[in-house]
Amino acid sequence: MLLEMKGVEKRFGGVTALRQGDLEVRAGEVHLLMGENGAGKSTMMKIIAGMQKRDGGQILWQGKSVDFSNPKEAAQVGIAMVHQESLLAPHLSVAENIFLGREIAGPFGTVNRRKMLAEATRLIAQYGFRLQADWMVGRLSPAGKQLVEICRAIQNGTSLLIFDEPTSSLSEAETHEVFRIVRELRERGTGVIYITHRMEELRSVGDKVTILRDGATVHSEALATLTRDRMIQYMVGREVNAIYRRDPLPPGAPLLEVTGLSTKTLLRHISLTIRAGEIVGLGGLMGAGRSELCRAIFGLDPVETGSVTVCGKRVSLRNPREAVAAGVALIPEDRQRTGLARELPISWNVTMANLEAVSPGGVIRHAEEARATQKAIDRLRIRCENGKQRAGRLSGGNQQKVVISKWVNRGARVFLFDEPTRGIDVGAKVEVFEVMDQLAREGAAILMVSSELPELLQVADRILVMSQGHLVGELPRGCSQEDIMRLATVPPASGETLQ
Amino acid sequence: MIKRLLPFLALLILFVVLSVASPSFLTSQNLSSVVRQTAVFNILALGMTLIIISSGIDLSVGSIVALGGLAGTMAMAKGVPIPIGVLLGIATGFVCGFINGMLITQLRIIPFIVTLGMMGVLRGFALIISDGMPVHDVPKGFQYLGEGTVLGFPFVLLVLIVCAVIVHFILEHTRLGRYVFAIGSNPDAAIYAGIPVNFHTVAIYALCGGLSGLAGLIEASRLSTGQPTAGQGYELQAIAAVVIGGGSLRGGEGTVIGTLVGGFIMGLLANGSDLLGINPYVQQALIGAMIIVFVAVDELRKRKSHS
Repeated sequence: MLLEMKGVEKRFGGVTALRQGDLEVRAGEVHLLMGENGAGKSTMMKIIAGMQKRDGGQILWQGKSVDFSNPKEAAQVGIAMVHQESLLAPHLSVAENIFLGREIAGPFGTVNRRKMLAEATRLIAQYGFRLQADWMVGRLSPAGKQLVEICRAIQNGTSLLIFDEPTSSLSEAETHEVFRIVRELRERGTGVIYITHRMEELRSVGDKVTILRDGATVHSEALATLTRDRMIQYMVGREVNAIYRRDPLPPGAPLLEVTGLSTKTLLRHISLTIRAGEIVGLGGLMGAGRSELCRAIFGLDPVETGSVTVCGKRVSLRNPREAVAAGVALIPEDRQRTGLARELPISWNVTMANLEAVSPGGVIRHAEEARATQKAIDRLRIRCENGKQRAGRLSGGNQQKVVISKWVNRGARVFLFDEPTRGIDVGAKVEVFEVMDQLAREGAAILMVSSELPELLQVADRILVMSQGHLVGELPRGCSQEDIMRLATVPPASGETLQ
Repeated sequence: MIKRLLPFLALLILFVVLSVASPSFLTSQNLSSVVRQTAVFNILALGMTLIIISSGIDLSVGSIVALGGLAGTMAMAKGVPIPIGVLLGIATGFVCGFINGMLITQLRIIPFIVTLGMMGVLRGFALIISDGMPVHDVPKGFQYLGEGTVLGFPFVLLVLIVCAVIVHFILEHTRLGRYVFAIGSNPDAAIYAGIPVNFHTVAIYALCGGLSGLAGLIEASRLSTGQPTAGQGYELQAIAAVVIGGGSLRGGEGTVIGTLVGGFIMGLLANGSDLLGINPYVQQALIGAMIIVFVAVDELRKRKSHS
C-alpha cells in the first residue's frame, strides 16, 4: 500500500470542503478520483501534495503517518502533482521550468544551465516526449505545457503522481499521449491518482475508482465492475436520467444560412443551413475549426470570403455588434474568460446584451431591469439567492445559465453553443440540454459544438462534422460515435463532401 | 457593506479627532479652506473614478489642468467673457480626453502608456503656447469660481457637488455607467455581448478630460493666473482618492461617494497635519502610508470573503 487516507477533513472558515476523505492507492495502480464539482477532489489532492493542511483524519505514506506542511516535503517522499491549469513561467525554457525552484547549482550561487539542459533532454528522451529542452514554454500548445508539467513532476523519481484533469484542454491525439505516459508510469510501479470529469476516456487507463460526493468518499471499486450508470448514481447521490433524449421537431424556416465561408487562417468554403426548431451538432477533432466557425459567424474573426444570412437578412461579419443586432448569440467555450462578468451581479449580466430595452434615453429603469432578471431566473431555473448576487459566486451550471439568459433576454434567434457543458456537473448538463430544447421549441435555430460525442448524439437532430477547416459530412440522428470519428479523422480531400 | 463603511468611518474618526485635538479645526474658515484646497483634485478624482472602474488609468489629467486653465485664462486675457472662457477651458480638456480615448481604442495601446505619453505632450504644449510664462491679466470676476461664496459656503463646493451628482447618476443609472462596469469587469464579455466598447471608452476619457479642464479653471481662478506648470502630480492624488474610496485598479469596482470620501480623507490629513504642526515632510509619508493601509485592509476583507 502506497497511500492511505482515513477520514481526512478540511474546513475553510465555516465551509467544510472535505469531511470524510478515504482513499487507498497501491504502487503500480491507476486510481481514478471522480465526483461533481465541489465534491472535494481537488482539496483532497492538495492535502496529499502538501499544498494545504488537513484539519482532521490520518494519512499514511507507505504505512507511516505523515503530515506535509508544504509541497517540498511531499516531493521529498516522492509525491508530485500535475496541475489542471499550467503553473509554468511562460518566458522561461522547458528545462528552466522543469527545474524551477530546484535549479542545478553551479559555483558561486550561479545556475548550471548546461547541466540542466542536458538533464532535461535526457528526461524528455526517456519518455519519448515531443519536446525540446530549450524551447520557450510560452510558445507551447496546452498539451506541450502539460508535458512540461509532467516532466517537472516525474523529474526526481516520483512514486505517486497526481493528475488533476490533465486532458481537459487536450485534443484526442494528445489525450492518447497522456494515457501512454500514465500506462508507462504504472508499468514502472508508480502509483497514479487521476482526477477526471470525462467518463468515456477513463476505461482505457484506470484500475480502480474512488467516488466523492459532498466532501465524503462514498464508494470505491475496481473500474472493470463499475457501470457508467452506477458511477453517475454514486456521484450525484440519486438516479439521474443521464441519457437525455430529445424529441426532434419539424424544422421551420431557415434562420442561419452560411455560404462558402472561408477565413485566412483555417475555414474553407463552409456552407450550412439551420432552420427554426433545429439543434444541429458540430463534431470534429480539436483544431478542426468548430470554434473558429462560431467565431467567424459571430464576427469575431475576419472573414475572407463567403456570406452569412440570419433570418433572411445578409449580415456583414465585421464585429460581434452586427451579429448581435441580427439576432445571433454566442455561448462561448471559455465561459469564465469571455462569457461572464464574474464580479458583477447576475442582473447586470442578464441585461448586458439588451440594456437598451430597460434604459430608454440611456437611463436605466432599475425596476424593469429587476423584472427582466427575475423572468430569466425563473425561466432558466437559475439557482441563486437573488439577482443582485455576484455571477461568479454561482456553480458552473448556473453560471452557464446566466450566460444563456443574456441571449434569451435579448431575444436572439440563432444560438451558437460552443462546448456548452464543459466543466458542468452531470445534473446541470441535462438542465442545459433542456434549455436548448426549449429554445428550439420556441423557434430558435441552434448550432452546438461538443467534443463529448455521446452528448452530440443525445441532443442534436443531425450532426455536421468538420476536419481541418472543411465541413466533411453530415450524419443523421441515430448515427454512432464511430461514424462521427470516421468522418472527423478522414482528411478533407478524400472525405465525403456535403451535398 | 463593510467595504463602503470603512472609508466613511475613517473620515468620521479623523473629523472627530481633529475637532478635539485642534480648536481651529472646526471653524468655518478652516473647513472652507479644506474644501477649496481639495476641490481641484476631487473633481479630477470623479473623472478618474469612471476610468478606473473601466480598468483604465489617466495620467494626463494633471497636464490637462494646466492646459485647460491656460486656454481659459488666455482667452479671458484677450477679452473673451468669463463664462465663454470657462467653457473654452472645459472644451480643451474634453478634446484632450477625446484624443486619449481615440489613441487607446484605435492604436490599441494600454491606457497607462497612452496617458503617460500624453502627460508629457500636453505639458509641453502648455509650456509652448504660454512660452513658459504665467497668464496674469485675468478679469477680477474670474476669481469667484475658486474663491467665491454662496450662502456662506464656498462656490467650489457647489461645483463639486453638481459634478459628483452628475457622475454618480451616470455610473449608477445610465447605460454608459453600466457599460463602464462591464468593460472594466470583463472586456471580452463586453465585446461578446455586442457592447460598443470603443465608443464608450472614448466617451469616458473625454468626460474625464472635460472635468480636468474644469479643475484647471478652478486652479487658475484660485491662483488668479493661468500657470503652465499647474497641476503637476495631481493625477496621483486623484488616483489615490479613488483607491482609498474602494476603487480597484483591476476594474469593475468603485463609487463616487467612496471617491469623495477618499479625497476628503487626504484633504483632512493634510489640513490636520498643518493644524497640529506636523512637519510637512512627515505629512507626505503619512498620506503615502495611508494609501497602502486602506488598500491592504480592503484586500484582506476581500480575501476573507472569497475563501
